[in-house]
Amino acid sequence: MIELQNVYKNYGLTKALIDVSFSIEKGEIIGFVGPNGAGKSTAMKIITTYTAPTSGTATIGGYDVLENPLEVRKLIGYLPETVPLYSDMLVNEYLEFIGAARHLNGQFKQRYDWVVEACGLQPVLKRKIGVLSKGFKQRTCLAQALIHDPDVLILDEPTSGLDPLQIIGIRNLVRELAHDKTIILSTHILPEVSTIADRILVVNEGRIVADGSFEDLVQQVTDRNSIYIEVRTTKKDLQSAVQSISDVEEVIYNDETPKGIVGCHLYFTAKTDLLPQINQIVRERSWDILEFQREKLSLEDSFIRLTKSRGNDSGEDTVNTEPSPDEEGGAE
Amino acid sequence: MNDVAIIFKREFRAYFYSPIAYVFSVIFIVLNASIYMFHFFFFGNADMRSFFSTLPLVIGLIFIPAISMRLWSEENKLGTIELLLTLPMRTEHIVLGKFLASFVFYLIALAGTLTIPIILIILGKPDFGPIVGGYFGAMLLGAFFLAIGIFISGFFSDQIVSLIITSLVCGFLVLIGWQYVPMVVDGWIPGMGEFLYNYIGVTRHFNDIERGVIDIRNIIYFLSFTSLFLFLNAKALERRKY
Repeated sequence: MIELQNVYKNYGLTKALIDVSFSIEKGEIIGFVGPNGAGKSTAMKIITTYTAPTSGTATIGGYDVLENPLEVRKLIGYLPETVPLYSDMLVNEYLEFIGAARHLNGQFKQRYDWVVEACGLQPVLKRKIGVLSKGFKQRTCLAQALIHDPDVLILDEPTSGLDPLQIIGIRNLVRELAHDKTIILSTHILPEVSTIADRILVVNEGRIVADGSFEDLVQQVTDRNSIYIEVRTTKKDLQSAVQSISDVEEVIYNDETPKGIVGCHLYFTAKTDLLPQINQIVRERSWDILEFQREKLSLEDSFIRLTKSRGNDSGEDTVNTEPSPDEEGGAE
Repeated sequence: MNDVAIIFKREFRAYFYSPIAYVFSVIFIVLNASIYMFHFFFFGNADMRSFFSTLPLVIGLIFIPAISMRLWSEENKLGTIELLLTLPMRTEHIVLGKFLASFVFYLIALAGTLTIPIILIILGKPDFGPIVGGYFGAMLLGAFFLAIGIFISGFFSDQIVSLIITSLVCGFLVLIGWQYVPMVVDGWIPGMGEFLYNYIGVTRHFNDIERGVIDIRNIIYFLSFTSLFLFLNAKALERRKY
């Protein structure tokens, strides 16, 4: 459905996209993840024909974005990151304008009713867009993207600046639409894509640094699993026990345990399973187990690792420019 | 062509969302009428020559820039240009729709000055040739200035910057057609003033039409420049993609 091949995009001297290639099948939901300024929006602008690639080709539904932009635009519904709306228009006037511009003609009434219902716009239809709250503006803009029932939906940060309830609302709507549409949504809020997207593309500094499902991605960043164990014994005892386990790659002792209790993180390759060995040691030494758990890496962890590994190429400071989890809700 | 109508409808209504357009229309009508009335009472002639001699400067400096400034600058500022240019419409049709909306708005304001010929008919026996010619010329001149205005507005996201630059360009085009301005320019660069007067200035072409002399060359001058700037506007917008 969407195919980008060796796409480069330069804004003057800034390289926004470097050799980006990916292809998206019909019906897939894709999460575009990356720090601010990574090139997510630029890739979306190329797909929607708003900007042209400096080199490389992009085709949507078989139409090239440069040769057949009008056909491409018919297929796409687009929610830009900035949520641009005519602030002087009424909500219903605006949707009528978009409906006319999308050549809906006879189907308009039916689509209009659906979109008003789906986006919950009923209470604000006769209001000026300029006075609406951020959430309603976002939904009006989303309605604009959905009114012509597009095959491809491009949502650039659809949940930025919304409160948690509204985020859930949008997430549910996306899931509802998912069965017959190809959807790309960008975000830097990681849990959001890990729950909706079939596939995640991690973008950093203009390149695709990872491509795959959430699990693949975690696998790709780290081929290590880890187990945390906390027992009542001496540190020396634990150390000697750990040394007897083969295949352990790294041991990190927890220094914050109370007196008489020791704990450690055991890292090992994903292919091996340490559980039987650890079980045996525990039984042999008859330790009291206080805590024993597999540790799962969150997408945050893998994301940070990915961007870090790229960041190291060009210097440490790029690592620090990532948004911290607390800032994620804010607008870019 | 349907697309042109859709854009026209939205743009034309947009003029009535804010009071700016009303304010400028009133200023336009009052200013033109009052400048004219001074001459009218002073000389007591039943003609509109003085009206049409000041009209190019009034529309070029104030009115046209005021109604053309928002056409693209507002879209740039709000970011709505991103959605507008990703609608399944040709850029040329969008430009044409916007241009026609501003042109019709201009015609309505111009129609507001028709009170003057009505007064003339009541008070005397005016010669209709120059009056009809004058209004026809004002339509062509307005179209030309609006095309310049919409073209300039495409480059800026600040409406005031668009207004000032359009005002400067249109003002220059009018003034260079006044006889003493080219003389001054000739004083600096010999030949330059005359060149600008003959080939660039609009006043000469406008005056010909206004005298009631409908010369096809003057009409072609206005129509071709209008089309040229509209075409350049569409090209400039497409060019932004790269």
